[in-house]
Amino acid sequence: MYLDDEGGLGVRWPVAEFGMVKLSQYVRARDTRQLTSQQHASLRHRYVLRRNLTGWAFILPAVIPFTLFLLIPAMMVFWWSTQEGSITGATRFVGLDNWAYVVSRSEVMTSVLNTVKFALMSVPLIVAAGLGVALLLQRVGRAGAVFRFAVYFPVLVPGVVAGLMWIFMTHPDFGLLSLASRFVGLTPPVWLGPGTALVLLAFVDVWRSVGYWAVFLLAGLMGLPRELYEAADLDGANAVRRFRYITLPQLRPILLFVVVVSTIWALQIFDTVWLMTRGGPGTSTVTMVFYVYMEALQRGEVGPAAAISVMLLAGILVLTAIQMRLLRGPKVS
Amino acid sequence: MFHSMGPGRWSPAERATAYVLLIALSLVLIVPFYFVVATSLRNSTALFEYPPKLIPDPLYFGNFERLLFHSEFPHWMLNTLFVATTVAALKVFIDSLAGYAFAKIDFRGRNGLFILMIAMLMVPFGAILIPLYKIARDLGITNTYLALILPPLANPLGIFLMRQFIVGLPKDLENAARLDGVSEFGIYWRIILPLVKPGLVVLAVIVFTEQYVSFLWPLVSVSDKSLTVMTVGVAGMRSFGGTNYGLWSAAAVMALVPITLLFFPLQRQFLARSISGALKQ
Repeated sequence: MYLDDEGGLGVRWPVAEFGMVKLSQYVRARDTRQLTSQQHASLRHRYVLRRNLTGWAFILPAVIPFTLFLLIPAMMVFWWSTQEGSITGATRFVGLDNWAYVVSRSEVMTSVLNTVKFALMSVPLIVAAGLGVALLLQRVGRAGAVFRFAVYFPVLVPGVVAGLMWIFMTHPDFGLLSLASRFVGLTPPVWLGPGTALVLLAFVDVWRSVGYWAVFLLAGLMGLPRELYEAADLDGANAVRRFRYITLPQLRPILLFVVVVSTIWALQIFDTVWLMTRGGPGTSTVTMVFYVYMEALQRGEVGPAAAISVMLLAGILVLTAIQMRLLRGPKVS
Repeated sequence: MFHSMGPGRWSPAERATAYVLLIALSLVLIVPFYFVVATSLRNSTALFEYPPKLIPDPLYFGNFERLLFHSEFPHWMLNTLFVATTVAALKVFIDSLAGYAFAKIDFRGRNGLFILMIAMLMVPFGAILIPLYKIARDLGITNTYLALILPPLANPLGIFLMRQFIVGLPKDLENAARLDGVSEFGIYWRIILPLVKPGLVVLAVIVFTEQYVSFLWPLVSVSDKSLTVMTVGVAGMRSFGGTNYGLWSAAAVMALVPITLLFFPLQRQFLARSISGALKQ
């Protein structure tokens, strides 16, 4: 709608599209005093209709895959958790039996425990190291471009390739880590043993993720206002005090975000598990997503896998809700 | 003149410490790559010798020869590149189209749909693996390229990214175009798209990388040998082929080549990938 040069209210839209309004109708409408309120309303109605249709036409190519491959599966997981059977064949309703089964089966709860242990090991390291690296990178400025590259490079490595690389590194015979420990006179530990495999997996995950968050936090650090720092300089604050009293409080929301998102990713670890340990030794590295994969697609039991999927979904929703609540909390002064 | 990006002054001692720490850290992060490259250039006997030579001597190219000419690896890599490129191209188009609509067209249900999409961002892939697989089966697309290409289009992050870019464009631009009789699609195609080109590149890089490293979904949705993607193929090398470490390390090296080549000229876009995570907020 626009104001034309005769002071009337005109409605104008591309004539070439949709052809819902005849050109002659438009021409006649140039002076709105000639329009009855009915004609005005119907013109406007057509305009809004055209606008809605266009909007929906534009989003449809994106909304269709979204609905089919994200929305519907997310809703169906709950339905699947009440079923028993195979994913390819017939299933029958068993209601909450799956949940009782899930809670009682030790392998299932082991997967949850392993996943939580894994997240507890990797996330604090990732966040702390990421922040540390970001601070260091901030100091070295432009000269640090090569460090930025070096730090970020492991992020590009696919999980399975990273797994392969670290299998080599920890190989008892020729692996670099084993050679290094032999060099200093120690016998190399069994890197993929019952207690240590999960730790190694966590380490590989830290290795892969630090760069990503370091760059992210670096951007956050660079966005902080300088005035506070200038004031601190005048007061003669040293680097540590600057960090504790200025940087850290302002970074809190960003850090919270980093913690939550990296936890969410950590809970879904699969690639390196599949490649490096296949869940072993025993079941010490079976994680939740790995369990879902094994149970539903290898052993053909959909019910418990779907129940675990729901647990995963719920856990992540809870984490996100906590994050949002903490962010909306009292403002950092 | 030394430029520091950080506020405040650091003493030379502090700066030196920073450099030392960064060098040490970079070594930890980069040494595995050097090790893998070195391993790939050794033959099986040289591999196990102790103490090992830092630089393999003689340089053995047999592993690469075997990988590139006598294995399925090139085929896997072609599959991955094909899928990654196709998904990136498609997603850039449909997400910018949708992003434009969300940003500039006030259509019915826009806000509700937007909130729904935000909510779905939280859904972890591992949780929807089972129903997604079932849907793919029911649609008959398992074991086809479609299974690799279509589901990744569902991620709403791209739409947000595009919307962010487009929302910032002045309204007068489109209104002037509308006045001139340009169709909505014309506005999108001829005015908006050229203006958000940097955003398109970032999105393309994000999507391409995501598909390049994707493992679980290709593993599950496709079992046909001819459709194997690089990640699945390389992972599978551990099951068959005994313990040919030379070959595996060559595979690891070659697996990294395309993404590294892409990374060098597009570093800024890759790093923007980290920052785009902020949009999830």
